[in-house]
Amino acid sequence: MYYECIPTTCTYCGCGCSVVLQVLDGHLVGVLPGKTNPVNEGSLCIKGWTSHEFVYREKRLKNPLVKKDGVFFETGWEEALDTVAGKLKKIKEESGADSIAALASAKCTNEENYLMQKLMRAAIGTNNIDHCARL
Amino acid sequence: MEALKNKVNELLESGGIAGFLGLRNFGSEPFPFLFTRDTAAEVEKITTGAVRYPLSKILIRIAAVYPDAIFGIMCRACDERAIIELFKNTKLRSDKVITIGISCTDDLVQACKCENPQPSNLVSGEAGKKEFDRSDVQKIASMTLEQRFDFWTEQLGKCIKCYGCRNICPVCFCDVCTLEDQPLVKRGEIPPELPSFHLTRAYHMAGRCVDCGLCEEACPVDIPLRTLYRRVRESVKELLDYLPGEERDKVPPIQVLGDGLFEIRD
Amino acid sequence: MFGSGAMTNSIAELEDSKCIFIIGSNTSEAHPLIANRILRAKAKGAKIIVADPRKIHIAFYADIHVRQNLGTDVALLNGIMNIIISKGWQAREYIEARTENYAVLQESVANYPPEKVSEITGVSVQDLNAIAEAYAKAPSASIVYAMGITQHTTGVDNVKSLANLAMLCGRVGAESCGVNPLRGQNNGQGACDMGALPNVYSGYQRVDDEEVGKKFDAAWGAQLSRKPGLTLMDMMHAIEEGQVRALYIMGENPVVSDPNRAHVESVLKKVEFLVVQDIFMTETAQYAQVILPGVSFAEKDGTFTNTERRVQRVRKAIEPVGNARPDWQIICSLSDMIGYPMNYNEAGEIQDEIKSVTPSYGGITYARLDGDGLQWPCPTSEHPGTKFLHKERFTRGRGLFSAIAFKPPAEASDNEFPLMLTTGRNFVHYHTGTLTRQSRSLDDEQKEGYAEINPLDAHKYGISKRDRIKVVSRRGAIEIKPEITGRVPEGILFIPFHFAEAAANALTIDALDPVAKIPEYKVCAVRIEKVA
Repeated sequence: MYYECIPTTCTYCGCGCSVVLQVLDGHLVGVLPGKTNPVNEGSLCIKGWTSHEFVYREKRLKNPLVKKDGVFFETGWEEALDTVAGKLKKIKEESGADSIAALASAKCTNEENYLMQKLMRAAIGTNNIDHCARL
Repeated sequence: MEALKNKVNELLESGGIAGFLGLRNFGSEPFPFLFTRDTAAEVEKITTGAVRYPLSKILIRIAAVYPDAIFGIMCRACDERAIIELFKNTKLRSDKVITIGISCTDDLVQACKCENPQPSNLVSGEAGKKEFDRSDVQKIASMTLEQRFDFWTEQLGKCIKCYGCRNICPVCFCDVCTLEDQPLVKRGEIPPELPSFHLTRAYHMAGRCVDCGLCEEACPVDIPLRTLYRRVRESVKELLDYLPGEERDKVPPIQVLGDGLFEIRD
Repeated sequence: MFGSGAMTNSIAELEDSKCIFIIGSNTSEAHPLIANRILRAKAKGAKIIVADPRKIHIAFYADIHVRQNLGTDVALLNGIMNIIISKGWQAREYIEARTENYAVLQESVANYPPEKVSEITGVSVQDLNAIAEAYAKAPSASIVYAMGITQHTTGVDNVKSLANLAMLCGRVGAESCGVNPLRGQNNGQGACDMGALPNVYSGYQRVDDEEVGKKFDAAWGAQLSRKPGLTLMDMMHAIEEGQVRALYIMGENPVVSDPNRAHVESVLKKVEFLVVQDIFMTETAQYAQVILPGVSFAEKDGTFTNTERRVQRVRKAIEPVGNARPDWQIICSLSDMIGYPMNYNEAGEIQDEIKSVTPSYGGITYARLDGDGLQWPCPTSEHPGTKFLHKERFTRGRGLFSAIAFKPPAEASDNEFPLMLTTGRNFVHYHTGTLTRQSRSLDDEQKEGYAEINPLDAHKYGISKRDRIKVVSRRGAIEIKPEITGRVPEGILFIPFHFAEAAANALTIDALDPVAKIPEYKVCAVRIEKVA
């Protein structure tokens, strides 16, 4: 028997409302508006109130997928990461770092965006990094 | 506060309750938390303060998973009123819930329009007292019909259809919600159809609304929802002599109306 | 301009503004918890001005609502400035003390007398005067804008014109004033702040600046490229030309979000190696060779930066679903395997590194983010964060006026495509619908796409609400349900872009702003046909 509320930040628009995730026995069961947050002061919009609903949808990707002959197969992390790292290294050797590009995400965290540009700039060696902020 | 912590520890240790639903400081801010024997160390972080979350509604969810467990719950007067209605509507069982009363802060007592800020089983703090303030309802009542219509049209027109009034309401517990009934309220547009969305909800508050005001607190566009539902609450008192949350022993009118052929006498 | 790409002021300050000018923002639907501040300001006596071709929700609460012709914002704003200057309402002392290039502005807006502007924009001279007076004379005045300003071939011109207007009236660097772009995405601000851009590292430090380059070389232990990289649109072209062979996409769905969907699909088919990291099988992921399952916001730690520059915590509440992994851990593993080890035990350690190389985030630690978060710039561990920018001086020194000439949109209506299309959001859904259409409540609220069409147009084309229509542009065609409503003026259709099966972006044009490379989603020419 374990119930707690974890305050976090809504995943939808740029307002940055505080949503409080209700967790019962390890499962996300609902959302409450953060009452003390200076942005939303205890209110949410329809999206904020339902921001937990997509988390457990069956359609969530639960394992890495690799495409073979046009069809996706589930695979383990080692194989998937090996494939990606191997292919990126090979393309870099053959055509140079600038033949690789990446799109980071306005949905991901600051830490993830920071690491993505660091990956491209320091590990790959190119400044070909952008995201969809313009869209 | 120490009295509250002691009481919770005592109940958890004795096995009198399986868990105590209250507010815990997470960093510097209070959020709902279920204190159990496994998390007894957290009892130190219990807090009361002016922040209100719909604890009784949260308890419905937890009790549904643990129907045989007895729970303690931190109760302001408004929480207690909600719990009384939830007992009557069989959403919680009176033999499985122990209310532990806390007082509201003075600021909250003055800011809130609640008629009775004193819970019955007060463990922490002193009950605040003040004159019952129904000036909001009176102000609307003093308007002409046309002014009233304009006032509510403007206020309800602000609605961005977050459903927050329903989502946070401790006595909104239906499995199927009429507000989502497409023939009644067209879906997918804001403001939601005027006035059917808001009047549907107001009707459904009749005989239920315990005047906690969480709806108005949650409204992102400051619609005076509490005033609307207080008016409904007053009507139910006048017509059916029932004040939700205050009448421990009376059967709620919705349960005696039966087939709907009931007629109100002048 | 002033030198920063963020809301100059804070969300809460809007409440005390005495005049709020909303242009190109459907605030109640796209930023509901900012719209409430505007409604509160109104209750406190503020004048609300809305310039939007559609009668959007917030327009019902406006003192002045004007419906300018699509893509005529520069003319509209020049016209307002023309009136302000000719009436002598400009902030003379402020212009003198804090700006430069005023003469150039004065000369350029002189070419936009009210009558001419009225002709271009369709806004009456009376309304132009009313806006100029309300904005210039209020004790405080805020400008609020969003994608309706930026998603044009003149997007940068539009933003510069707003900056001109704000500086002209001394509205930058003061409480409850400012120029306030509302970011569409939860962390659009943060993605930019963190250097997910081809020309800058985190904190907008330029990659082609040798000093900056040396600093990052040392911090990251690598020899870094000084050559700015490709923007998204340039990447697409480079793939077509075979110059880019591999594309790694994290948490984006360009097939639905980019203009000219057919083109994007052909590019993704062409690229030799596509990796997509996401939480759902998106339309984009279908084209990948490898898909890496990331996690939702509920399953990881980190921070988001909102549109008012407030850095706030994201906290892990539950374990990852299935074998999915937090995106930051996936990047670390990949980097290790590529031969550049990244060692972070938890997300907070990444923030510690961000803080050490990013001056504007220099005082931000997880410990300080409990509660209200912090607004950057926050350069030191004692700094309280910054409520509004440019208080004493602009980031670049003096505010720079620029002369902006009106240019019409890339596409105009003609005999073949007689209607104009604009796109945007609906209050229920978000972006490409990847998340919201997987939410039961939201899907129930709005299941399918629709095209708003004025009753006069519906009558003209013999369309009733039970029909389906085909909307055709030079790029493509979609079938969609008509929503007959006066929200749109005659001659204009509106389609929300959330619905992949009736994708607005199958129709939109990929003409770009020459500087910001933003596509002109807000204006293109279409025709409609009733589907038999």
